[in-house]
This record gives sequence, C-alpha cells and structure tokens, in this order.
Amino acid sequence: MSRDLPNPGWGPLSALPGNPLMWVLILSEMLVFTAFFALYAAQRALDPALFNASQQQLDPVLGGINTLVLLTSGLCVAFAVEAISAKQLRRSRQWLAAAMLLGLAFCVIKSIEYADKFAAGLMPETNVFFGFYYGLTAFHFAHVVFGLLLLGLVSWRASTENIETAAAFWHMVDLIWVLLYPLIYLLR
Amino acid sequence: MTALPGTRRLLITWALLMALTVVSMVSARLDQTTDWQALPLWSAALVLMATGFKAHRVLMVYLNLRAATLVWKGIFIALTLLTLTLIAAGYLVGRFHIT
Repeated sequence: MSRDLPNPGWGPLSALPGNPLMWVLILSEMLVFTAFFALYAAQRALDPALFNASQQQLDPVLGGINTLVLLTSGLCVAFAVEAISAKQLRRSRQWLAAAMLLGLAFCVIKSIEYADKFAAGLMPETNVFFGFYYGLTAFHFAHVVFGLLLLGLVSWRASTENIETAAAFWHMVDLIWVLLYPLIYLLR
Repeated sequence: MTALPGTRRLLITWALLMALTVVSMVSARLDQTTDWQALPLWSAALVLMATGFKAHRVLMVYLNLRAATLVWKGIFIALTLLTLTLIAAGYLVGRFHIT
C-alpha cells in the first residue's frame, strides 16, 4: 500500500501529491486568508452601509477579468506539469512562459486598478473597507509576484518535482483569488 | 509522481471555471451600473455556490487533490466550506442589520 503513496516516508503528508512541504505552506496560507476573510466579514456585519458604499467605488468587471486571467494561467501551469511528466521539457517551459505572461497580465490589470483608486483619492486609510481592500488584495498580489518568481525559477531549474511544487503554489494563489473576488467585489 | 488529471479533464475544468466566473458576474448584476442595489438573496446565494464549486474544482483538479486520501480531501473541503460560511454569515448579518 505504502508504495502507492506519492511521498512515502512523510507520515500523514505522504498521501499528498507533489512536495509535502508545499502542502504545509498551502494549508497555512489558507488558514491565514480564512482568518482575514473572517475579520472582513465581521467588520462588514458591523457597518454594511459603509462597505456597500465603498464597494461601489470598485470595478468588479476588472476583478472578473483578472479571475479569468488567473484561472487560465492555472491551466497553463497544469499543462506544464503534464508536459514535464511526459518528458517534454521544451513544451513544459512554453506552458510555464504562457502562465507567467498571464500572471504578469494579472499584475498589470491590478496595478491599473490601484492607480485608478489612488487617483480617486481612495487610500488604505480612507475607511475600514479600503483598509481591507488594499490589505487583502496587496497580500494576494505579493503572492502572485512570488509565484511568478517561483515559476521563473523552476522554468530554469526544470524537473518534475520542482515544476509540480511551483504549480501547487500557483494553484493556491488561484484558489485564494477565487474566494477573494466575490467577497470584495461582488457580495453587496 | 501521482496520477495527473490529463488534458481532457483539465480543459473541462477550465471551461467550467470560466463559465462559473461569468455566472458569478452576471448573478452580481454588474450590468446595473446606474442602479447600484443590494443583491437579491438568490443572487448572493448563486455567487457563493459558484465560488464554492470553483474552489472545489481548483482543489480537486488543478491542485490534484483527487489523488490524495479522503482525509486530506475532507480537510481542504472543510476549510473551504468554513471560509464560505464565514463570508456568508458576515454578509447575511450585515444585510439583516440594514433592513
């Protein structure tokens, strides 16, 4: 039975695909974001009028486009894993490059959104909603940038384990955005 | 190396994720630019259900948790459900506070 496990010798983590340490990171990141989401939800419950009025200043279509961009980059990364596992190194690097381009597109769109908000005088200290908006999205943005660096690194040092590990991180970044987008932009 | 999802499953998942994102955007009535109102409850519920399904697909297919044990699947699904419940609770409390 143990010979069927992806990571024998890692105890409870041996049943998880990819590098087990990445799963420790994914689980801890999910817990951290869940705590922030809970704080946001509690603050929203205290002052829904302020949150609704502030949400109106956001551009949910841009946020939606960014969701489509990020999820498509996730597909490219998944294809990169499929390619490297089939020993197609060149193809895998091409998929990683496509994923990084889409990741950069996400960053550009988000930067345009930030610039627009700054131009409108909407700063993190404007009110509690914008404190959360900048805090949560910037924290996620930092993960996207780190993920891009990681994808670049594994594209250079390409191996099945490296690409699978970076892919897991990138999908975690996808997952957090999937939860973040409706919370900040849509639910009013 | 674990059993990977395969091209077909990945493409189907991606198409589903795209469609559900559009469903969320439509449910949130983003077309109503001049008349910004609170969402009807069914819209909010649809947004949350679409989000939950998307998160599930990302976990099971993109992150390939389908290859993991039932316990790990349960842990990640429970954490996602907890997150969605907290989001929904904050939203509903605020909503009934308004009315």
